[in-house]
Amino acid sequence: VSGTAPSRSATPRWACAIDPLIALGLFVGYLAALLLTAKGLGYARDEGFYFHAAGTYGKWFDLLLSNPSRALQAATVDRYWQENHEHPALMKSLFWLSQRLFDGKVFEPGTALRLPAMALSALAVSVTFVFGRRCIGRGAGVVAALSFALMPQIFYHSHLAAFDMPIAALWLFVVYAYHRSSKPGALGWAVLCAVLYGLALDTKHNSWLLPPALVVHALWLAGWRLYQRRRAARAPNAAQPAPLAARENALVRFSRWFPLAFISMPLLAPPLLYALWPWLWRDTLRRLIEYVQFHRLHVYYNMEYLGRTYFEPPFPRSYSWVMTLATVPAITLVLALCGGLYTCVTVWRSARTTHLDRDALDDPRSAHHWASLWLACIVASYFVWLFDDTPIFGGTKHWMSAYPFIALFAGQGFAWLTASLARSPGGERGVLRRAVPWAFGFCTLIGPFAMTWNSHPWGLTAYTPLVGGAPGAATLGLNRSFWGYTTGAVTGFLNERVGRGERVYLHDTTADSFHMLQRDGRLRGDIRPWPVVAGSKFALYHHEQHMSRVEYMVWVDYGTTAPAHVATFDGVPMIWVYERPTAARPPSVQAPP
Amino acid sequence: VPAERFSSRFRVLAARFEGRGAALAVASVALLGLLELGLHLYFSRAAPSLEQWSALKPVVARLAPSGTLVVASPRWAEPNARFAFGAELMPLGQVARADESGFEHALEVSILGEAASELRGWHLESEQREGAFVLRSWTNPQVSPVTYEFVDHLSPADATVSVLRAKGPAEPCPYGNGKVTNGDLGGHPTFPRKRFICSGAEWQMVGATVIEDQEYRPRRCIWAHPSNRGTLNVRFESVPIGARISGYGALPYLFERETHGTPIEVEVLVAGASVGRYQHLDGEGWKRFEFSTAAFAGQSQPVEFQVRSRVVRDRQFCFQASVR
Repeated sequence: VSGTAPSRSATPRWACAIDPLIALGLFVGYLAALLLTAKGLGYARDEGFYFHAAGTYGKWFDLLLSNPSRALQAATVDRYWQENHEHPALMKSLFWLSQRLFDGKVFEPGTALRLPAMALSALAVSVTFVFGRRCIGRGAGVVAALSFALMPQIFYHSHLAAFDMPIAALWLFVVYAYHRSSKPGALGWAVLCAVLYGLALDTKHNSWLLPPALVVHALWLAGWRLYQRRRAARAPNAAQPAPLAARENALVRFSRWFPLAFISMPLLAPPLLYALWPWLWRDTLRRLIEYVQFHRLHVYYNMEYLGRTYFEPPFPRSYSWVMTLATVPAITLVLALCGGLYTCVTVWRSARTTHLDRDALDDPRSAHHWASLWLACIVASYFVWLFDDTPIFGGTKHWMSAYPFIALFAGQGFAWLTASLARSPGGERGVLRRAVPWAFGFCTLIGPFAMTWNSHPWGLTAYTPLVGGAPGAATLGLNRSFWGYTTGAVTGFLNERVGRGERVYLHDTTADSFHMLQRDGRLRGDIRPWPVVAGSKFALYHHEQHMSRVEYMVWVDYGTTAPAHVATFDGVPMIWVYERPTAARPPSVQAPP
Repeated sequence: VPAERFSSRFRVLAARFEGRGAALAVASVALLGLLELGLHLYFSRAAPSLEQWSALKPVVARLAPSGTLVVASPRWAEPNARFAFGAELMPLGQVARADESGFEHALEVSILGEAASELRGWHLESEQREGAFVLRSWTNPQVSPVTYEFVDHLSPADATVSVLRAKGPAEPCPYGNGKVTNGDLGGHPTFPRKRFICSGAEWQMVGATVIEDQEYRPRRCIWAHPSNRGTLNVRFESVPIGARISGYGALPYLFERETHGTPIEVEVLVAGASVGRYQHLDGEGWKRFEFSTAAFAGQSQPVEFQVRSRVVRDRQFCFQASVR
């Protein structure tokens, strides 16, 4: 484990293959873990909407292939792409493509739809390693990648055909490309950064928060460069800085002060968003404004926090950081704190040097460069939740884009501590030097692994021991779950107990999500979803504090307070099912709305 | 700081942790990791399983004879208790109680060292441990026995409902079978089959249902949405009058939490004479009222609840009342 970046000239050939192999292994391993566990996870509420939208977009793609001139007519485009136009199109288009390629051939239908988001999540784990390897060393990179992968809520969200992990992944990819483009003259990376940012814009609106982080980072670098130059010039025995390379061209000189990505991003990203989102092809400005306003003025949903359901501002400013403490393994946060503190001290010490090193100033692998970039991304991800009118209804998923960078700092903390020990008396001994990082890595990752393993398929209820786990969180009044995805945990009961053609009230699960369970073969096809309690034979109840009124409706309608089935996580009731007592004659049926 | 130089600075700083300092730091963090693992394993197994809950039923049945309030603590464990013990030990009237004041005895089924806050001030009679559970038998030192619970008498045998118009005769609301409806998350509570049906919209009825209070807890009550044609009059005949009539009023909290609605007024009359008025403002939640009926104590008299509001839109009022 070392803080030294790889030097290819000094590295044996076999060693050059290790890093790509680790990156590939992390990608394949995480993707495999997601695929193998997908079947146990029900479909979240929003997934149902995206499944439907993907199907609609897919019809347009089919039309595009069969009758392009008709597909490209403005009215046709609008007819197909108006569905779910409050979110950009990239992921839903990929969901459709994946379904077209894999449904029934390789995966069950729902998993085929989820595959693109899973692949992006696995790639994010891999890129976290690559980023860490480049800046803080191999071992630290591995710890960073695994620390990220083994956050229980990350593991849950990585399964979903939604936008939250894709945008967290694309955020990371953009930042990595930006980091690489920061080397003077790295035009190719700058172009890639812009393309990736265009894809991020077409994924989710969180992408709007990224440019401010990059601008702040660029300003910090410029300030750092000026400060270092001035300090070196004032030194008593100031030496002339090393001359610029004779062959350095204008582009390289320019890019020392102005990141090329700042030119490529505005040039390429918006056109890419426009090209990949047909909804914007007509009435572009008005629809863009509508899109922005939808999220800027988003309706407030309910979210329980410390026993109180918040449904309108002011929201608690402590929400984001308390929820981070409650859901991210403490060992990861402590390591990140160690890494962050150590990096601060290191950068502070280097700020006091009088030696001006041009290479150091411009090398993106320098600590002042990457550490400030990671910190800027963390701050940008959390920043809006410092305001008390920012909605909190999505829980931790809102700021998950910060988590790869927290994990990278954790990797840095790991590297620092193991390096410290290796330098201590006796630490140079081979056995100690080799064994300690492995043992230490085991100690820091076994807890997150156990928590993640245990959390499936209840990811949104995965709370850390800091709040007493799931039981402690329930006692504290932290949100137990949302999105109605836990229906996947009661399919066995429903298959066994529901009579042929009987109606099941779905509560928070959407009909599309329920139908996907049936298309997957996880739920009997004859079971009929029902939109209201009245007229149903069975009723699901997904617990959220403000939704308890739905359970009371069931009590009065069914004439019982005793559920027929309860699914629990660590002893905490998550979803329960009521069965209308057979003695009671079912009431007259209310037609569904 | 270039990577190579960073590494050297890294070593400089790391050197400060050489020896015991570094070893201590690494050991501390490693121990923290293992401690977190241990705590995770502990918490994930701390709460009893459903099988353990079910196995407890005979003990609970023995300790909680009819009329004993069964309470689970912490509150989130209650669905497990209802699943395991059944509606016979945890009936609707108890689970969705107005408050605890009318109960003489309670059995608390506690896990994880929790205690039921609603039993604070009660006398602990006995406590026994059953595996992961602690069973506490409590006695209410200030029990206020209920002699007549109005919601239990909401049937034609005891009650009539009408709309009193400012001009013209009262409109009777006949008792009958209605269509059971419920409104999903954003809608109305369940309208029961057996109810008094007033003319007009579906919500113009009087029947027993359950609403959520300001803590989203269940409250069984009489649905009495004010009428847009006059005063809603819910009349109970031959009520054995005691020292007072007390109760609560509220709207489903989902509707009153935004505090937009018009106030609702309830006037209580005994033998045609007003004994008190109650006004409910949005946001007040499950709010208590109590009126003295000492002047009529010992008599059997009609009791009327007259509900009105200046604007009736979304006034999903529901009240509970009892004679004490």
